[in-house]
Amino acid sequence: MPDIKVTPLGAGQDVGRSCILVSIGGKNIMLDCGMHMGYNDDRRFPDFSYVTQNSRLTEFLDCVIISHFHLDHCGALPYMSEMVGYDGPIYMTHPTKAICPILLEDFRKITVDKKGETNFFTSQMIKDCMKKVVPLNLHQTVQVDEELEIKAYYAGHVLGAAMFQIKVGSESVVYTGDYNMTPDRHLGAAWIDKCRPDLLISESTYATTIRDSKRCRERDFLKKVHETVERGGKVLIPVFALGRAQELCILLETFWERMNLKAPIYFSTGLTEKANHYYKLFITWTNQKIRKTFVQRNMFEFKHIKAFDRSYADNPGPMVVFATPGMLHAGQSLQIFKKWAGNEKNMLIMPGYCVQGTVGHKILNGQKKLEMEGRATLDVKLQVEYMSFSAHADAKGIMQLIRMAEPRNMLLVHGEAKKMEFLKDKIEQEFSISCYMPANGETTTIVTNPSVPVDISLNLLKREMALGGPLPDAKRPRTMHGTLIMKDNSLRLVSPEQALKELGLSEHQLRFTCRVQLHDPHSDTDTLGRIYTHLKSVLKSYSIQHVPDGTVIVESIVIKVTSSAEEPNLKVILLSWSYQDEELGSFLSTLLKNGLPS
Amino acid sequence: MDSDCLSLLPAVCLVLADPQQSPPDDTSLEKLLDWFKELHIQSNGQVLLQHQPCLLEFISSVCTSKTTDPAIISFTLKLTGLLAATKQGFHLLEEGGLLLCAFEREACYVCDIWEDASVRSGWLQGLLNMLKHQNALDFIRGNGLIKVVLQLQNDRSLFVASLANQLLVHILNFLTSSNMTNGSDAVGSSVSSLRSDWVSVSSEIMNAVVEALRSEDHPRVLLGLRLLSLVLFQCGEPIRSTLWKDVLVPLEVLINRGSESLTQTLMTVLQAAVRTPLLGQSEYKVEELLEAMLGHGNRKECFQCAALVVKLEKCPEISKRKATGIILLPLQCVSTQPQTEVETNLVLNEQLSQKASCISLLMQSLSSLAELAHTKYLFDDISIHSITSSVVLLLRMCSGHCPSSLLHINASIHLIGCCKVQRCGLDTLGPYHKCKDILITCYMGDHVCSADLFPVLEKRMWDLRWDVRDSTLEFITQLTVTGFTEALHTSGMVSVLLSSLADTEGYVRASAVAAVGEAVTASFHQAALERNSNLLEKALTQMMIVLSQDTEGFPRRAVVKAFTSWLKGSHPVTALDSSLSSVLSLGGNDFDWEVKMHTLELAEVLMEKTLTCCPYMQNVDFSEKTCLTQTLSRLKDFGLFDLLFNSLFDCDRPVCEKACALLVRLRTLTAETADLDHSALVLNVCGNRWGDEVQRRYLKKQRAKASACATDGILDLNDMQRMLLLSSDHVVNSPQSLMEDILSAAQESEENIVDCY
Repeated sequence: MPDIKVTPLGAGQDVGRSCILVSIGGKNIMLDCGMHMGYNDDRRFPDFSYVTQNSRLTEFLDCVIISHFHLDHCGALPYMSEMVGYDGPIYMTHPTKAICPILLEDFRKITVDKKGETNFFTSQMIKDCMKKVVPLNLHQTVQVDEELEIKAYYAGHVLGAAMFQIKVGSESVVYTGDYNMTPDRHLGAAWIDKCRPDLLISESTYATTIRDSKRCRERDFLKKVHETVERGGKVLIPVFALGRAQELCILLETFWERMNLKAPIYFSTGLTEKANHYYKLFITWTNQKIRKTFVQRNMFEFKHIKAFDRSYADNPGPMVVFATPGMLHAGQSLQIFKKWAGNEKNMLIMPGYCVQGTVGHKILNGQKKLEMEGRATLDVKLQVEYMSFSAHADAKGIMQLIRMAEPRNMLLVHGEAKKMEFLKDKIEQEFSISCYMPANGETTTIVTNPSVPVDISLNLLKREMALGGPLPDAKRPRTMHGTLIMKDNSLRLVSPEQALKELGLSEHQLRFTCRVQLHDPHSDTDTLGRIYTHLKSVLKSYSIQHVPDGTVIVESIVIKVTSSAEEPNLKVILLSWSYQDEELGSFLSTLLKNGLPS
Repeated sequence: MDSDCLSLLPAVCLVLADPQQSPPDDTSLEKLLDWFKELHIQSNGQVLLQHQPCLLEFISSVCTSKTTDPAIISFTLKLTGLLAATKQGFHLLEEGGLLLCAFEREACYVCDIWEDASVRSGWLQGLLNMLKHQNALDFIRGNGLIKVVLQLQNDRSLFVASLANQLLVHILNFLTSSNMTNGSDAVGSSVSSLRSDWVSVSSEIMNAVVEALRSEDHPRVLLGLRLLSLVLFQCGEPIRSTLWKDVLVPLEVLINRGSESLTQTLMTVLQAAVRTPLLGQSEYKVEELLEAMLGHGNRKECFQCAALVVKLEKCPEISKRKATGIILLPLQCVSTQPQTEVETNLVLNEQLSQKASCISLLMQSLSSLAELAHTKYLFDDISIHSITSSVVLLLRMCSGHCPSSLLHINASIHLIGCCKVQRCGLDTLGPYHKCKDILITCYMGDHVCSADLFPVLEKRMWDLRWDVRDSTLEFITQLTVTGFTEALHTSGMVSVLLSSLADTEGYVRASAVAAVGEAVTASFHQAALERNSNLLEKALTQMMIVLSQDTEGFPRRAVVKAFTSWLKGSHPVTALDSSLSSVLSLGGNDFDWEVKMHTLELAEVLMEKTLTCCPYMQNVDFSEKTCLTQTLSRLKDFGLFDLLFNSLFDCDRPVCEKACALLVRLRTLTAETADLDHSALVLNVCGNRWGDEVQRRYLKKQRAKASACATDGILDLNDMQRMLLLSSDHVVNSPQSLMEDILSAAQESEENIVDCY
């Protein structure tokens, strides 16, 4: 039986880096190629030696698919393609291809700055890697090779995020990447058609949570910023160049406009402009509201948000500053933090994940005294808030997606084991499908039913309909007879007559014959008469004819009697039947072998 | 540092052992183990265990608790193994019954927690850590743990299975290491030279390999082969030859069966065997097996084998020759006249007639040839000319050319537009030829003429895809380097390059900057600048625009790099001088710290040039100080000091570090020259960002002006440099900080919901 194999190298029962190997119909596909930012050695990348043992990745993998630009989904890509060596195709959506190198570059820059960093990719490697990327549009079916095709669906989550359908022959897998089933301020909700894949691989970050609406979190965020600014404090929001930053900018911009606030908002990085450029360029990927208002006012052209100069940090009065990098471990955000940390009027809002060892991580863990360079300590008096804005589907959303796609099997990744367990039970109960949750390094095998699509001729279908019975129904299979023609890689079911005609063949009738010897003292004609009577009594529901030329006919079976002059009592009964009546024919031969009733 | 850490250890142990606490950040435990490993290397386990009784308590409480998180159990097993790696540590743990408690066989199976792959992997890693002395091996043997390891070799988790293999090899290796009673490494010495109670260990493992190879179960055979190759790679005698003798028969059966899915793994085994003294001894049949693998080029997997054989460093010449022949077959078959031998190769013909197999076969051929050329293993009697012309023909077929007499029409159809083969073909040609001629031949067909090349390149420059435009620019830069400058100018390509400086894509602008930079440099070399003086002028203007206005870092970085390479060039161009101060000032104030770094590198070159070009430097006479003063004041005019002092207080460490190093160098130089005329070198401190910093930090007396040298004195540069070099790792990697993080995370009750970058 054909099967689909799934082996996570990352994201199997964890929320680290995603990297999932799928083997379907003889094709090997890598879904995402993420990096773990918490390490500063090779442990940050998936161990690709498990993929191939000795051969090159290019020989093993048919393609790599990247779901979206977050580094835990694409961060190991340049390492894999340029340092380990992979020359095959890499697929991602157009926005992802545009934004991915910005984030990779951003992370490279903050990484090479650190001491003790080894084995990291360079700018040139990022560029060379991006040249191997084949960008694709939503709902565009891309033929990777003759057998393998992929198709992207909208996933929400971040700009350009996509779910991917992977199809080889009649087998298919859908990989969700990260997705969001409720529209947010600038992105729409994920959508997929009823594609009934053999397997749906879904993220399960919020497997047990029914999240408070994102709107609540946003209101909370705005309230806190507003309060701080009102009392004359300064707000620092460490961000990475792209992603959450834009989301928060839109939020503040509209709020400032509505409340007519005067405190300045600054953005500290040179990358914003570029980032905003992409949000404008890929406006079709944002949600309906943004697209509608785009004509009157572009959401991404900010009136209140201005470029930051480092001298502004000392200016008196309230202000809001977005500064990079997002984990407060270097550069401008750290410098501003040091200046503002001592004042309890100020506030720090951390909108994203912080790696262990960074100042951001320490502060989120509640440390109030930080050791800075040169053994000086820094008292953290400002208020610290953590605000998660990440847009993942919650349990309800995941169930909703299952209803949408109607998969035959389900596999959970990108979540914590305990929470997955809960969701797995729920899914198995509600949908009566198997749900798997392999750990990293473990392979799940899903047996699929080979289904071979066949075209059926209209005539045959009409004839079948004419015979009566229920109308054709996808859910109620029924038997049909016809001739299967395999020609030019296509399969067609037609009536035998049509097949003969099409292929220019003449029909051959196959008949079976058999001789049965019988001792019977009567004349040949009488013997035949006795056979006729005997069959009449045995085969009551059959039409049996006694033809004057000396034959008895039952259905297609012809019976004759002969005898030789030397032995007139030894009758030879000849039976002949066509292959349709094979059963009846052999029954009659057995019956006659047993003799006639006296 | 370590004593601070050790004082935190008891608290950390308590937190980790507490089943109520959720385990810390997934990297923290790994990093904590890293620290223990370091400690272990520095001292030994005994000291640690004796002085830190909390560790014993921790291990004991984790092992006896039924509710602990799998991550913590896995960590504990690894740690226990690490602490038991010394005899003293081992005894301490054994006395307390902790070793059995952690590793015993029954403990493994009864608990549900064993279902978790991380626990199994921790168990194996623990044993692997521990196996440094005989007692550890006796412990493993005496408690029947080898069986468990052999079972784990079959584990459903790739990670666990691979670790089990490593442990088995480590055990075998350990048996034969210096602990062995008879330390001979001669091939053929027998296992009986091992300690008698250890013979059973080695035979248990080796029997498992033999059985696996005999098995009909495909995954099991694979596992056996993997272990076998690991043993061959890592183990010495007598294990190696004993095992080889045992597996020889099943191995021959497997090879002769010719299963495609085993080819790769079988080759790995042979590859390992070839590197050992087993090669060359007829009874071990290594050469025979290699021959059998290669067959006669008439099996599908032969090509893959041949590709692997040509990579072997130590390989019998006969096999290598045969493999080379097989490697060449597909290439010959596609690109040359029909040959009888090739014609009759049905397998090859079939492979070439299908697109996917045709392309992969040719790519394998090409990359193996490239490999051969690199390692200079190609035999003399093979015509390099015929190889290169075949490859060139192949490349032309990729661009749609169809030779009239072809054996494989199908193959030529498959090749049209096939980038994979094109790329691979070019890589192959590289080592065989001067690349550029071939490149041109490929692109232009028969007309080897650079004048025809540029229209093609120009067309590619207007491609919609940025990657195509960028690669074309990179190619043009290469051409310029290799001496096509003249043609570049006459063909009008330069104006195309200049217009590319305004491309919509940052990557392309950066490559355009590099190409223009190279074109200008090449013009200097050819002393043809007068003719192209226009070029320099235009280039300078546009590059300054890029540096001051471009929204992306790459193009700005490229501009500064171009200036650096111009300045480094042997032909000093006075026209540059006027732009230099702008470059230093713009580059020094950039958002991107890497632009700043490149600017500092430019400053470094400027310093070198200016200081060494001083005509009187060699003469130690009165004019020396005048000269230096003049030079310094010239540097000041360029804005070099503003750049250096500004960068000294930058928020990015690498920038500060570089600036500091440059200032120290300047100071050394000025200090060597006594009686410098300070008044001639007055910097205006006021109104400068760095000036404010200097004033704030060090000048309590208000002083409006300071000389560069005096400022050097005011700032303790040495101390700054030391600080910058020492600390300032923005992500704190110290174990102390790690432990503090674990402790504070435990106090923080609110869970921060997982989020991503």
